[in-house]
Amino acid sequence: MISEEQQEQASLYALDLLRAEEAGVFERELATNAELQTLVTELRDTAGSLARLVPQQAAPAAVKSRVMQQIAAEAAPASAKVVSFPTWVPWAIAAGLAFFCGMLALDRAKLQDRIAAAESQPILVALAAAEGAGAPAKAEALVSWQPGKQTGVIKIRNLPAAAAGKDYQLWTVDGAYQDPIDAGILRIDANGVAQIEFKPNKDAREVKAFAISLERKGGVPKREGPILLIGTV
Amino acid sequence: MIDPTGTQRTEDRELMQRIASGDQQAFGSLYDRLSGPLFSLALQILRDANEAEDTLQEVSMQVCRRAAIYDASRSSLFTWAVMMTRSKAIDRLRARGRRSRIVAGSTDENPETMSGLASEADDAAHTSVKNDEAGRIRSALRTLPDEQRQAIEMAFFSDMTHAEIAERKGEPLGTVKARIRRGLLRMRDGLK
Repeated sequence: MISEEQQEQASLYALDLLRAEEAGVFERELATNAELQTLVTELRDTAGSLARLVPQQAAPAAVKSRVMQQIAAEAAPASAKVVSFPTWVPWAIAAGLAFFCGMLALDRAKLQDRIAAAESQPILVALAAAEGAGAPAKAEALVSWQPGKQTGVIKIRNLPAAAAGKDYQLWTVDGAYQDPIDAGILRIDANGVAQIEFKPNKDAREVKAFAISLERKGGVPKREGPILLIGTV
Repeated sequence: MIDPTGTQRTEDRELMQRIASGDQQAFGSLYDRLSGPLFSLALQILRDANEAEDTLQEVSMQVCRRAAIYDASRSSLFTWAVMMTRSKAIDRLRARGRRSRIVAGSTDENPETMSGLASEADDAAHTSVKNDEAGRIRSALRTLPDEQRQAIEMAFFSDMTHAEIAERKGEPLGTVKARIRRGLLRMRDGLK
């Protein structure tokens, strides 16, 4: 049974009207109350439907063009272009390739050193509260990820300790896998702070994002709970 | 819209999985479906076409980048994108340091602002299409007492908090909260 007070909080939450600390408290309750989750989902969809009442206008075509270009650029930054060229060009290219192969062979050791150095450089990824998902707006995290070592360190601030029977779990979103990779349980101290070293339980070579979800105590092999914080690489 | 059967949710989930796997055609069809309502909402809040375009572009990219983490059990794809658009538009409004036209003119005094959204159902042009989705929502909104409807519209379309709405209306905060609760629940029931 949902009380009037819970309904009120759910209504304000659905409209994103709760202050960060109020939202944090409500989300802890929400995480363990399936009936309340259903109510929030329904109220959120009801609130969202108000957008249908606005006088409808088509978006300018130029916006789609810009968006699709940006997506294509992000998806395939090094995509090859098909070009036509005179018949002598392949021979010139072959000669050039032969030359450069020789150069590459000579520089192979240097190149490997450079790759190793690049992989040892940490990638920094800032995680922020996912919209409407449950973390206080002030919650934040920073991941320092070392692809070469396949390890990382995550620092977290302003994330309240998980509710009883729950744990925060870190996930690595990798383009090579359909599901996010489990990167371990995160224990937050009473001040909402944590600094934890982690290692995903699968090889992660195409890391796209890191995310923190709220899961059952002890963690789960495949994400079930809501994503609270996320940051893309 | 509330979708108790979950059919739309399943379709949304599958579409987002395709987008997450890099299917640009899937994203293009999603964009075609959502861009009109999202642009219109951003324009309603911001009252500036250029800023509405920027908001739409920003939200579109966010939808694409976050496709892998979209959770269909938490909201419909439409709601997810709408709430993202509303949030970004309101952020822009606040950053701009001025209130929307909605706030500048009182809801009660300006019939062209929010209160007009529900009453448009009275127009002959709209009665002919009242079976469509917008017509159903408008009808559900019209069943609410004026004070509940106004509270919900102010909460959704402006950058005011419920405390600011209470201050503006000269009503106790508890009254405004109760109006939002009762109105939203009643509207939900009307849409089921």
